[in-house]
Amino acid sequence: MEQVPLIEVRNVTKVYHVGSVDVHALRGINLTINRGDICCIIGRSGSGKSTLLNVLAGLEHVTSGEIVIAGKRLDKMTQSELIVFRQKHVGFIFQSFNLMPYYTALENVAFPLSFRGVPARKRNALAREALKTMGLATHMKHKPSQMSGGQQQRVGIARALVTDPEIVFADEPTGNLDSNTSDDVMNSICDVMRAQNKTLVMVTHDPHMAEFADKVIQILDGKVVSIEYNDHSDSKKKTDVKQGVETA
Amino acid sequence: MKFSDMLRTAFLNLWRRKLRAFLTVLGMVIGTSSIVVMVSLGIGMREAMIESYSQMGSMTNITVTRWSSSVDANGNYTSTEKDLTKKTVEQFKLIPGVEVIMPRITTWGMVKSGRYVADISIMGIDTSVASEFGITLAEGEMPSARTTGGTYDIVFGSDLFQYGYFYDPNTGKQAVDKDGNPKVTWDSRFQLTFDSSNIYGNPGDSMEGRTPGKMYRLNATGVTAASGNEFSYYCLMDIEALKKLAKENKDFVNIDTSNYNEVIVKCTDTDAVESVNKTIKDMGYGTQCLQEWIEQSEQSIKQTQYLLGAIGGVSLLVAAIGIMNTMMMSIYERTKEIGIIKVLGCRMSNIAGMFLTESAYIGLFGGALGLGVSYTLSIVLNKFLAQSGMHSSIPLYLAFGAVAFSILVALISGLYPAIRAMRLSPLAAIRNE
Repeated sequence: MEQVPLIEVRNVTKVYHVGSVDVHALRGINLTINRGDICCIIGRSGSGKSTLLNVLAGLEHVTSGEIVIAGKRLDKMTQSELIVFRQKHVGFIFQSFNLMPYYTALENVAFPLSFRGVPARKRNALAREALKTMGLATHMKHKPSQMSGGQQQRVGIARALVTDPEIVFADEPTGNLDSNTSDDVMNSICDVMRAQNKTLVMVTHDPHMAEFADKVIQILDGKVVSIEYNDHSDSKKKTDVKQGVETA
Repeated sequence: MKFSDMLRTAFLNLWRRKLRAFLTVLGMVIGTSSIVVMVSLGIGMREAMIESYSQMGSMTNITVTRWSSSVDANGNYTSTEKDLTKKTVEQFKLIPGVEVIMPRITTWGMVKSGRYVADISIMGIDTSVASEFGITLAEGEMPSARTTGGTYDIVFGSDLFQYGYFYDPNTGKQAVDKDGNPKVTWDSRFQLTFDSSNIYGNPGDSMEGRTPGKMYRLNATGVTAASGNEFSYYCLMDIEALKKLAKENKDFVNIDTSNYNEVIVKCTDTDAVESVNKTIKDMGYGTQCLQEWIEQSEQSIKQTQYLLGAIGGVSLLVAAIGIMNTMMMSIYERTKEIGIIKVLGCRMSNIAGMFLTESAYIGLFGGALGLGVSYTLSIVLNKFLAQSGMHSSIPLYLAFGAVAFSILVALISGLYPAIRAMRLSPLAAIRNE
């Protein structure tokens, strides 16, 4: 795999002012994520991993430092520019799925496309395709309340992918799922990312989830502690086993 | 985001909270209908005023007289006189907006028919343009200008026979039979004089040394139609024939035959009246037109209209606050949802647009339903207020204006909530409760 840097983080700090106390969430982060990486940021709660994800996704501004994604300086963008940036480059998977409860699965997946001005017919066709990829062809007309947690998260993944983003951010994507479903969902995410050659940046506190990733970045007290690479063939094997279980 | 998608999404958002949306719309219904009904009463007042004026004459006519008056800075009242002749009429004809002009002179005279007499007002007119000024005949034809053999053509006013103007100067009895039918009709024989001694036979001291006025044979060619305008009171003669009579009787009739008493200028339409009126005034003539009177009455009616509108406006204001409240509540409830759609790539302008569209819907539905209520109320009011002279009228511009205005009010109420929604942090989407 060619190593093209997609995300570059240089000396990023983030300070929250909570009352009169300054909380240093990020204390000088430096890292590079390449195009096509399945990358996991792991850390204990309060380590700054979620803050890192938020600043990478452009949901909040850094205090200092540079973030370059796809050649663009995120730290220099206004909120409106960040939204346009997200429209073009970013998909997002939430911990608590965040599906619109009154929309069907299909409408939920088509929803982000409506913000991009895609006509309804094309929107629905793309959404249908994305849901099929996630194995939900039979659940298009279901509302979130009629689906299991795993199915809901698959709808969430379809929604993140339907806009064909370069990067998908996932915030504890399995945090609200039981362990069996978690593995299924993780396999689904990683498979589809690899198949579509997307870059995934996932945040978790669960070391087991980190095993699915190729690259594991460990964060502690706002600093990068270690970057490890998982053996590709090992994780591949694991995936095969899991898929075997799922199809059986 | 496509506009149609925005409309749809906003509608669904309202639909999800049907009851609250309905209650907010209800507030708007009450606000709109109260303002529309109040304004409609004001418009009804104005219409009634204009109608009563238009019975007094044509709205497009300007009556020009020789005397104009002005008040200077010290409050001194000065009156100036200017010639009003054929030449001036030609000048008036050149003013843009003037359609047709009728000079006239008026005088009084006495008509004798057998033993009955009547005092009449005679108007000398240009008969060729008479119909343009609403001077129409019930019977017969317009008087000609012939003066041969001392016989003059005249058209009698319709009132003359109807109300028993003719009476016997010796007994004072009216010329009606016992059934109340007039004894003198327009096909009777008539004589005209301007010298009262010809009728009453006792010349006063001032009449000493004067030659007595002649008696003229009158040929009645018709009777005016009882049209109820400013001319229906007069008997009509050709202006040149009447001038000749006035000259011959200048001892009795004190009118300046070298000038017209008045010139009536008809404008092409009501919009032209103002400028034509001003031009003639600037030439130094006195003018009268209903338009001016109406404008003055309008000033006073306007105050009442503003008051009525303000009363209606209060309930609209309350409704507007209701919308704001509803939208603010909606934003607090949907903080997370707004965060999610921001993360999913909904532009700031789209978020504001969506909330504004929701407000606009409330304004639209409130305005449209309020208009329906207004029409119903208007019908009911007209039924019960008909006796009191109050009248409610909802013209089309008020109907459309009211809906547009309620949408505007709703948009303004929704502005602050929309900005609040726009500024919400996308991080709300990440937080887990």
